This record gives sequence, C-alpha cells and structure tokens, in this order.
Amino acid sequence: MLKTLIGRELLDNLMTFRFAAAVFITLLLVVANTIVLLKDYEQRLTAYNTAVQESREDLREEKTYAGYSGTLVAHRPPNPLSIFNLGLDKQVGNKIEVYHAFVPTIWDAEKHGMDNPFLNLFTSIDIVLVFQGVLSLLALIFAYDGLAGERERGTLRLVLTHPIQRGYILLAKYISAMLCLLVPLLISLLLSIILLTTSTTLALRADDFLRIGGIVLTSLLYVSLFYLIGLCISALTRRTSTALMLCMFVWGVLVLVYPNLILTAVDIVPKPNAQISVHNQIKQMWEQLDKENKQFIRNDGVLSPPSRGGEDLAAGFGLEGVEYTFWQDEDKPSILLYFHQTGLYAGKIKAESEPQVPPVQNYYGFYNRETINTVERTWLVRKPALEAIYVQPANLGRMLLRFSPVGLYDAATEAWAGTDLEGIQDFFGTVQRYRRAVVDYFYDKKIFESRQWFAADKGTADWDALPQFSFHRSDTGINAKRALPDMLLLLTMNVILFTVVLLIFVKSEV
Amino acid sequence: MWHIAKRELSDNLNSLRFALATVLLLGLMLTNAVVHLREHPERVQQYRERVSGHQNHIAAHASNGLYDLAQEGPGYLYKKPSNLRFCAEGSETFMSDRAQAGYHRWSTDTLKSFWILAYPSATPNRDNVRPEVTKVDWGFIIGYVLSLVALLFTFDSISGERERGTLRLTLSNAIPRHTVLIGKFLGAFISVSIPFILGVLVNLLVISTSSDVHLDAEAWGRLGIIFFIAVLYTCLFLALGMLVSARVQRSAVSLVVLLLVWVVFVVFMPSTLASIAGRSTSSGPTYDFSERSWKLHEELSSDYYANYDEGPEGSTKRIEIDGAYVTKDAEQQEQLHEERLNRRIAEVHRARAITRLSPVTIVQNLIESFAGTGFERHLQFLENVKTYAREFRTFIVDTDNADPESLHIFGVRTGMSQEPVSPEAVPKFEDTLNLSKDFNTAATELLLLTLFVLVLLSGAYLAFVRVEV
Repeated sequence: MLKTLIGRELLDNLMTFRFAAAVFITLLLVVANTIVLLKDYEQRLTAYNTAVQESREDLREEKTYAGYSGTLVAHRPPNPLSIFNLGLDKQVGNKIEVYHAFVPTIWDAEKHGMDNPFLNLFTSIDIVLVFQGVLSLLALIFAYDGLAGERERGTLRLVLTHPIQRGYILLAKYISAMLCLLVPLLISLLLSIILLTTSTTLALRADDFLRIGGIVLTSLLYVSLFYLIGLCISALTRRTSTALMLCMFVWGVLVLVYPNLILTAVDIVPKPNAQISVHNQIKQMWEQLDKENKQFIRNDGVLSPPSRGGEDLAAGFGLEGVEYTFWQDEDKPSILLYFHQTGLYAGKIKAESEPQVPPVQNYYGFYNRETINTVERTWLVRKPALEAIYVQPANLGRMLLRFSPVGLYDAATEAWAGTDLEGIQDFFGTVQRYRRAVVDYFYDKKIFESRQWFAADKGTADWDALPQFSFHRSDTGINAKRALPDMLLLLTMNVILFTVVLLIFVKSEV
Repeated sequence: MWHIAKRELSDNLNSLRFALATVLLLGLMLTNAVVHLREHPERVQQYRERVSGHQNHIAAHASNGLYDLAQEGPGYLYKKPSNLRFCAEGSETFMSDRAQAGYHRWSTDTLKSFWILAYPSATPNRDNVRPEVTKVDWGFIIGYVLSLVALLFTFDSISGERERGTLRLTLSNAIPRHTVLIGKFLGAFISVSIPFILGVLVNLLVISTSSDVHLDAEAWGRLGIIFFIAVLYTCLFLALGMLVSARVQRSAVSLVVLLLVWVVFVVFMPSTLASIAGRSTSSGPTYDFSERSWKLHEELSSDYYANYDEGPEGSTKRIEIDGAYVTKDAEQQEQLHEERLNRRIAEVHRARAITRLSPVTIVQNLIESFAGTGFERHLQFLENVKTYAREFRTFIVDTDNADPESLHIFGVRTGMSQEPVSPEAVPKFEDTLNLSKDFNTAATELLLLTLFVLVLLSGAYLAFVRVEV
C-alpha cells in the first residue's frame, strides 16, 4: 500500500513545473559557482606554492641562525573542500612566522598572495550557500500544498476512504518528496565533483569523499527539516495560497532575516581594550627579562659594557667585524603581542676579538633561554585572554545562529569541510608544535650558544637539518565528531517536527 | 482606475501578508535604529578624539620650526564617519578609516626622509573569527526584504483573479486594459509602501529622538533621495511580479517562478558575479611592492653617495645635493604608493561594473553613495586627502618663501627657514561630504535602475494587454 502511495506521489511531483525548475536552477547555480570557485581555489593554491618556494629560498640565504626570524615561515595551504563551505579558510591569515620569541596564533598570521585588500568588499560564495538558499526554498515549494492542496481538491477525503492509516499517507508524502528533492541535490553535486576531478591541481583524496558524503547527509537533514516545516504549515492552513504565503515568510525569516538580524542586534565585536591589563602584564614580564639581561652583562667581566650609554643591548659587544646589530620588537595591544629581541650579525670576526667570542656565545645561550622562558610565561596569560577577546564572542555568535536551521547547517558542513574555527586552529596548533620542535632542535644541537648564531665566518647555518614543517588536515573521524552535535540537533528537530505534523494531521478534519 | 486601486488596496490590507510584512519591516527597522544608536556615538567620539590628536600633532611640530613640520608631515588623516551609516553599512570595515600623511622610511646621521602620503589597508578579517553576516541596514532591508515583499504582493494580482474568474468580470466593464493594470499596480504599490513607510518612520523617529545623533538638513535631503531609490526599486519588483503573473496561468506557478528568479538575481548573482570579477582582475602577477620600493631607494642613494664628496660639509652645494636627494626620494616613493592605490581602485571599478548586472547591487551601491559610506565615499575621502596634502605642501613653500633669510632648499634643516611657525596658520584637514559629487557618481546607476524599471513595466503592460482571459 505504501508503495502505491509513494508511487502516486512521486508521479505527481516529478511531472510538475516546479520539479523541472528546481533541477534547472540548482544545476545552473551549482555548476556556475563550482567553476568560479575552482578557479579561485587554483589561484590560491598557486599563491601558496609560490609563497612556500619563496620562503624556502629566503631562509637559505640566511647565513646565521639568528637570521631565521621573519624568514622561517609556515604557510597554510588552501583547503580543497572550501569549495563546498568556505568558512574561515579565505578570511583568516595563512602565513605565519615561526620564531622563538612568540607563540604563533591565528591572530598573528598574515596573508600571502592577496594583493588587493579592496576585493574584500565583495561577498564570497560557496556551494553550501547555494544549497542553503535554494534547497530550502524548493523544499518549501514542494511542501506547501502537500496537505492543504489535497484538502482543497478533495482528493484527501478520497484517499482516506481507503483503510489506510494516516501516518502512512504522511510517510508516503515525505518519502516521495525527499526523493524528488534528492534529485537536484545529487545531480548538481555529482556534476560539481566531476568538474573538480577534471582539475589537475585539485586532488581529492579518499577521505575527502567521505567528508563530502557527510556534507550530503547534512544537506539531506537540512532539506528534510524545511520540507517538514512546509508540511506543518500546510497541515495547519486551509488554503494553499495562504500556506504558500506563510512558507515564504518563514523562509525569509529563517534564511534571510534571522541570521543577519541576530548578529547585528547582539554585539559580538571583539573588544581588545577589555584585556589591556593582560597586555601590561606581558610587557612587565619582558621588562623583567630586560633587567635580568642587563644584570647578566654587568656581572660578566669579559663582555665589553654595551656602548651608547649602556642602554643599547644590541650593540656589538665591541667585537671587531660586526656588520650590523638589530633591535626587533612588536607591540600590538589588540592581539596582546609584545616582544623584543636584539642580535648582531658578524660576517668575519677579526682575530683580536677572538677571546671575546666565547662570552658572547655564552650570553646568547642565556638570553635565548630566558627569552623562551619568558614567552612560555606570557603564553599562560595571553592564551586565555585571546580566547576571551576573540573566540568567545565568535562562539556566542555561532551559538545564536544555531537557532535557525541555516546556522546548524552551516556549522555542520563547515566542520565536515574542516574550514570551521577548530579546523583552522588545527593548523595553528601544528605550527605551535613546530615552533616547539625547532626550539628543541636548537637546544639539542646547542645552536643558541653556538658561534653560528651570530657569526658566519666559521661555518654557516645548516637549514637542511632543521625539522621540516608539514601540515595534514585532521582525520575524517575528527571532522565527524565536530559535525555530529549539529547534525544530531538537526535530526532531533526533524523527528519532533515529523511527530508534530503527524499529530496535527491525525487530529485534523478532512 | 482609482476604484480598482482602492479595491486592490482593501483586499491587501486585510490579508495575512500585509500583517506579516508590516511586522517584519517594523522589526528590522527598529533593530537597525537601536543598533545605530548603540554604535554611532562611539564612532563619532573616536573621530573627534582622533582629529584633535591630529591637530595636536601639527601644533607640536609647528612649534619646532618649519623643517620639522615639513619633515614630519601632518600625520594620520581620518575619515569622517557618516551620520547616515544606518542606511548603508557599505563594508566600511573593509576600508581603512585613515590615510597616513607622514610615513617615514629612513634616517641617517644628518638626514631624515621626508613624509609621504601612504594608504594603509584595513584587514579586519585577519584577527576576526566571527561568522560572516550582512549587517541589517536600509540597504539590506530594501534590497532583500522589500523586494521579496513586493513579489509576494503581486504574484497573484492577475493570475489569482483569472483563477477566481473576477478578471473576466472586471474586463467586461468598459475599462481599457491599461487602466486596470495601472490601478492594480497602484494598489499593490500603496500596500507595499505602507509597511515600508511605517518602518522608515519608526526608524527615523527612534534615531532622531536621541541627542547623540544629529541629522542636519542635508542628511534629510539624502534620506529623501534614498527613499526615492527604494520606491523605484520596489516598482521594479512590482512590475516583475505583474509581468510573470500575467504570463502564467496559475498563481502558485507564478510565485514559484518569481521566487526562483528572485533567488537567482538577488541572492546569488551579486556574490557569483563578484567572485568572477574578483578572480578575473586579481590574476595579474603579484609583484612585490616593498622590493620595488627598496630598489628605487637603493638606486637613488647610490647615486647620492657617488656625488657625496662634491661639496664640503656645510656648503650650499652640499645642502643642495642633500635636499635634492631627500625630496626626490619622497617624490618617488609617494608616486609608487599612489600607483599601487590606483591599480587597486581600477580593479575594484572593473569588478563593480560587472556586479551591476544584479539590481540589488545597483540599489545597494546607490544607497551607499547617498548615505556617504562605501567605496565611492572612500574615493572621495582619498581625494580630500590628496587635496589637503597639496595644500599643506604649498603652505610649507609659501612660509619658506616669506622668510628672506632662508636658502629655499627643501629637505635639509639648514636649507629651510628657521623662523617659528604659528600652529594656527597651518592648514588643518577637514573631511567633507559633497552631495553633488555623490550625484555624479550615482548617475549611471540611477539611470540603469530606471531603465530596468521601464523595461519591466512595459513588459508587464504588453503581457497584460495580450493576455487571454
């Protein structure tokens, strides 16, 4: 019996104008956007490859180890699944310095490639956004006359004269409509995947297909939710035109108005000034280091006292052959970044200064060790403060968005694609571990207190022996774990709505 | 005709859609006003502080003499926040709110680089992990919500009557068809306008009651123009609704068609076109700006050091060489910055030209230009900055010329006037908005929008005249 019902419904749905229009529009939008997004991805990938190459060459040119500041750089590759959900992939920085004087975070990152910041003016698009708008609209268009229409035409009464349970009728309607909605979804996705596989630069791995499968599953839950919303409205109203009108308003509110309205109304702008005391605290720690540093130099009898009034630590300790000294500092209160470093570069140290060299080496061993300790101490206060400034408001915003199915859908697909905040943080976590590895390597090989740290005359820095940076996106399992809560929420909403529709329908008079 | 309009109006006023549209628009407009009142005073306060900081900066350097002033430059110049920002957010966060008229690059024991005009770029995204949304401003409300409401009011205006058979009844009277169409159009227009006008009134009422936000006569004029644009845009969608409604047999099909057209043109076209435009323009080679800048400076300084020994220390000849070096360097670097800026602007202009295919982009650009936000406004600000920079430099030259003891060689302390400069005499930067300029930049888009409306209106007319009842 169920089969007959589904068959009838399917036939009814498939032969309509709206089905043809649905398939056409989805295909058009998805294919057009895939082509555009693919080109965009390729361009970002080229920029990434060039940047990696250039950074590698820059590093090779440094003769002393101290010169690695600013040239040892980790680049974040573009995520191929950002075509499906762009998330934060494009907007967050993708070039990050690895240096022992600060812990790299998402906020310290800069951008390679992007030459024209004005192009940010234009909004970006991805495939999930297309589904989000079009599929939800289509689901409602399929659902609005599901019950109201049959009631109007009187066919509902006819069907119910047969000994069939009302639940079956509803189920048949649901299944057939979902099958019809699956067609545009799957065809368009298939076409876009075919387009993606024709590209030579974009290589989808096996687990990427699993992730895409996750996105499809989430899309299905999302579409089904909107279908049920439509059916609910249809069961509640007498006339189809009223049902359609209501559906459109509900769509407008849920998809268009609510997400924008709620984030405009609730203030989630980061407020770095609230944590300014932390910045001062960090500054104090560095001043402490500065003091200890001066103390060390004063206590050391062999090192020449720093020149220029005893204040300038960057001076060359009276070494003959120093080509330049440097003083490097960063002070960005908005991201609580503060550090300063001094150093020198000697091309060839003259023989008469040779006795000076071991104390200088000793000094740099001390200075770098203390710097790293200071960084560890500042990180303890900087990390929670950064979370409070940036992550908490962002999470609040995402939480508020979840009151609309659109927010849930977006969050779940972002998690599958790995372009959500956690996915991006994975990269920066890897960079932080890499920085640790580099520091450990420097400790291991005693590079901080080596002659090669500041002088290039007796052997230069060996960059090939340095640990190499590599980043792999998290496993599909982790993506699934991150997407699961939102998907479960979507599923629960589906179940609840289905029950509600069933109750209304069972109770309603024909 | 009025009779038809009145009947249409009374039909609409009692309907569910009217109630829903009113609630929706009122809610949005109210939120917009409240948010504006929360954010705007802070912005104005910040701008005031920055301007006074700028003036202090000038005063401090003026008291150190002409050389200091000419070397340091006027410092940061700030963009004035528009008091109509609630009309259009205009992606202001993506554009810098300042220009740097005092960018220093190097100094030697005796010489310092002169100031140049540089254009820092805003990168709010970099340290921002918030979800990306469109701010609810008038541009959003008009562009998206009002257009959707207009479609919902007209999709059944003809097909619905045909379905019910009342169209035949109306046409059996001795009324020409175009009168019926105009009557229906007016009726729908008035019923869409009522919730919108209500929303606008509530919005403006809330905003104008606050003492922090002051709207002057010019602002009201601009609001009037924006309202007119909104009306024109609504007409566009009303005409579209009527056109489809006349061509299609059933009203449900009509709505489906309209919604799909709306989704494609309003929701997706702007972003897809923008992606296409952004890609096609930024595909050029990304040459390294800082490298070029450094190379230019390097060439110049090697030339300079080659001639270093020609004049003995302190002689006029030496001062001339030094001065030429410093001024040439500043000129070159400023030109480099300017070139980069112009290239970027040209790219955005090209991209914006493509996105104009979508009516919603046109209307949002228009609202932005008249609200004094957005890209065109940014260009105006940059223009103001350049004018001011010229003024400032002329002032330095004039002041120097007025001193007979000066050598009139710029770039070196000893070559310039040693007289103290009165801080009051130094020109101050004042960012202004100019309505006639806005009109000029908006003219094309206004014409384009009108053209769209006319085409659709005549389309609706033709479709209705030929319709079989």
